[in-house]
Amino acid sequence: MFATTRSARFLLHLANLLAIVFILLPVVATAIGALQSEKSLQADTRRVLPAEYTLDNFALILSGGAQKGRIFEQATYLPENIKHFYAAFSNSVIVSLSVTFLTLLFGSLSAYTIARQRFRWTLFLMQANIAARFVPVITLMIPLYVVMRSIGQLNSLGGVIIAETGFLLPYAILILAPYFDTIPGELEEAARIDGCTRFGAFFHIVLPLATPALAACGVIVFIVSWHELLIPLILNARPDFMTLPVVIASLVGDVHVFFNLMMAICLLALAPTVVLVILLQKYIVEGLAAGAVKG
Amino acid sequence: MSAGTFAFVMNVPTLICLALVLAYPVVYAGYLSVHRVGLGQLRSGNFAFNGWDNYSRLLEDPLFWTAVKNTLLFTVVTVTSEIVLAVAIALLINQTSVWTSRVTRFLILLPYAIPPIANGLIWTFLYSFQFGFLNRILFSLGVISDPVNWAGNPDTALYAVAVPYIWRTLPFAIILVHAALQGIPRELYEQAAIDGANAWHRFTRITLPMLRQIIAIILVLRTAFAFTVFEEILAITQGGPGDATWVAAWYSYKITFAPPNNFGMGAASSYVLAAMIGVMAWVYMRFVFRRVTL
Repeated sequence: MFATTRSARFLLHLANLLAIVFILLPVVATAIGALQSEKSLQADTRRVLPAEYTLDNFALILSGGAQKGRIFEQATYLPENIKHFYAAFSNSVIVSLSVTFLTLLFGSLSAYTIARQRFRWTLFLMQANIAARFVPVITLMIPLYVVMRSIGQLNSLGGVIIAETGFLLPYAILILAPYFDTIPGELEEAARIDGCTRFGAFFHIVLPLATPALAACGVIVFIVSWHELLIPLILNARPDFMTLPVVIASLVGDVHVFFNLMMAICLLALAPTVVLVILLQKYIVEGLAAGAVKG
Repeated sequence: MSAGTFAFVMNVPTLICLALVLAYPVVYAGYLSVHRVGLGQLRSGNFAFNGWDNYSRLLEDPLFWTAVKNTLLFTVVTVTSEIVLAVAIALLINQTSVWTSRVTRFLILLPYAIPPIANGLIWTFLYSFQFGFLNRILFSLGVISDPVNWAGNPDTALYAVAVPYIWRTLPFAIILVHAALQGIPRELYEQAAIDGANAWHRFTRITLPMLRQIIAIILVLRTAFAFTVFEEILAITQGGPGDATWVAAWYSYKITFAPPNNFGMGAASSYVLAAMIGVMAWVYMRFVFRRVTL
């Protein structure tokens, strides 16, 4: 509607350029930081691009601290938690996949009944879910820490999975319920007349039709779980139970700041969700909009 | 099986989860907040009831009030910037005939993919006084001649943390505004063009009024979530320099999990935070949610 005159088009290109630079700047900085040595970062503090590039930072992290390469040859100190990269990565994968699976399973059972069966208590459950989205994680984590500690359940992946599932379920239900609402009820009625049970009708008729919503909800839950810091940080302090965000957080305020290593591990941690966002952009956009305004 | 029984059985897993991870901790946090709970009590398991002690100590703690003040300032800064930027960028990517707008649109979700704690570390690198990427760029462009201490200056530190937070959470707001823009009937603009309205008039008389509801949603949701900012604070400033970036969630975290580990007071402070957010939740449920069609 605005883009008619030449000067208007020029201004739009300029505004886009600013937006693109703003979006890409941190990611580009991360990549440039991760691809050079500490020495080259310190050699000239006014230079944007390094004189030479190296993959040694990634080699060190991916080899669990074993392959020091050229740039860490003389390093006497390396952050201990770098060595736990693989354990942290696989913990993150286990937690995020389990949370996504459980949340989709429980969430779709709930969201379906909330959308279909209009009882006073299902309405109340929906409102409770909306309210639950606003409970701050820190308010939950202080009592959960005290309970988990007293029953000896600190440092377990199971505890983190249960906590994250409970925390994300309300959000998942908010995303799923409006979608189930749009699937016509006649389909299940027809199936029930043909002798299908209530659960059978849900499982065989409704769930396959809801695949797009399940994809949208699943990818959002996976991303939020992959990013979650506070829950695993408080519940799991032992290195073998840390998730990736906890390992990254442990690099903050280390005795020696290795910016290059930090940027490399950040890049490795953000890569999976960036790939998901690029591949499933359409679903994420729909899910985010549905979870915020419908119900 | 009757419809009622069926509905109940289907909700059993959710109800168990919500009871275990949401309802019970919320009640138990209330219990902790009126008891004396430190590391010693945690070991022995005996929590002595101390009434409103934790709350009154909280209200007498100047650091708590600093944290509240910082949280409010942080929230006002981030939420207003996000709404202005979200409307501007959503209008920008709506210009599908401009090829650079299509590029921006493709990139818009990228910050949503970045883990908040990684985002914090990345901006620590950008802001670094000695080795920072931002200073390097500004040196190269000739904008500055001496390095700037972005996050280390008490006057600017809170804003320095606000920028990465805005960067990371902006995609959500843009997506909502962009979706709402698709719902505005084209005829309104065509009619306005016939009546000779210029671009600015079309924006203020048509676009902005039609976006009112979605802006209200973003305002409430983003306010509620900005109150709980944590990761960027942890990574970039750890509350510093001095107490310049102590915010509510950081206060609760430090009081509880750093020596002298006052769990009772931590729970009390997190309850105050939850109450602040509860106001936003009430507004959201009462006035905003369900009244919008995208």
